[in-house]
Amino acid sequence: MTSDFLRGHLENLLLAVLVDEPGHGYALLQRISARSGGDLVVPEGSLYPALQRLERAGLVASTWAAEGGRRRRIYRLSSAGRRRVRTAADEWKTFAAAVDRVMGGTEIRGMA
Amino acid sequence: MTQLVDDYLAELEAALRVRGPARRRFLAECREHLLDASALHGPQEAVRRFGDPTEVAHGYDVEVATRRSMRATAGSVVGAAAVAGSTLALVNAADPQADAVLVWAILFFAFAQTSAVCAVLAVLQATAMRHTAAHSADLALLHRRNLATPAFALLTMLAAGGVVPGHASPWLLLPGPVIAVVALAQVMHARHLARAVGGAAGRVVRSPIGDLLTAVGWGGEHGGVSNLEGVRLLLPAVPVAAAAAFAWSMRDHGGPGASAVDAGIEVLLLIAGFVVLGRGLGLRRGAFQGMR
Repeated sequence: MTSDFLRGHLENLLLAVLVDEPGHGYALLQRISARSGGDLVVPEGSLYPALQRLERAGLVASTWAAEGGRRRRIYRLSSAGRRRVRTAADEWKTFAAAVDRVMGGTEIRGMA
Repeated sequence: MTQLVDDYLAELEAALRVRGPARRRFLAECREHLLDASALHGPQEAVRRFGDPTEVAHGYDVEVATRRSMRATAGSVVGAAAVAGSTLALVNAADPQADAVLVWAILFFAFAQTSAVCAVLAVLQATAMRHTAAHSADLALLHRRNLATPAFALLTMLAAGGVVPGHASPWLLLPGPVIAVVALAQVMHARHLARAVGGAAGRVVRSPIGDLLTAVGWGGEHGGVSNLEGVRLLLPAVPVAAAAAFAWSMRDHGGPGASAVDAGIEVLLLIAGFVVLGRGLGLRRGAFQGMR
């Protein structure tokens, strides 16, 4: 899936993969990739500005921590972030179902 | 770490405009990320996936500029509140026998209300911007509101000195202006980064009603209410201001006649302030202006 398509959804995806446990930037990226079966390719350079936007909105908090002998910035979901994930998930289900109703049965004649 | 990753980080560092702890934090996070990615995919693929260093640096700079501008709003409001405290100390120390000079008194109320309105506008905008992407024109507007808040507070204190001359301890009078000057410096610092990152920004009109609805989580479609600006915003404000001024004056034993005069002065000040400052504060549009 293209980076442009993903850009508007990156923040909600990051919140979704933080629900179960906190993590550093690269770990979050790997969770998105693993959960999507490799179909979602996050523009990696946009990851940290997106995480800072989420911090600005009070949806995540972060701290430095030592992990495997390395100093990592660990992100965790705030209670506001948890509420946002629930809302975003509901909105997405409604949106995806509506788009599917419009596009799901479409057949383009003359194309395999 | 391989030379390729080192070179990439050097390019990223050179492209970043933000300085200080935010810069060090970002570079440290990018370094760790590239180390992880190199171990899995090799350094060449790691830097390719991370993207063009100039674009990556720009994205981060914009985010830091937005965050600093919002923080400057808090500083600006604190600065104005500190000046208000010093102004009260000045008024309380005034000579009770001295006659208030009318022009200074009118200026005192005009400046105080302008500072308060700017503070409310800035706080509403900054709160709304927590939940939305910021454009350079929005940041420029926020900086103007942030600058006006402590600046008009300082003018209020100056006018208070003209209204009721007297003597007070410098330990009571000086902290307010000092804090306000620090706040102004913070706003200028944030403005400098935002300008460097966003370039020249056009003027934008931004409805305080729309910001209020976004701030309380009711953002989105509210028809014309959230887009009230210009005369449509001024018209409902006039009777509210007149009624408030009348009630305030009556409470101070002004009598109906004197209170009506006070209400009239308040309306004139409101309209004059709207005409003179409305465009700069993003409340009314000029030619070729957009609306957020």
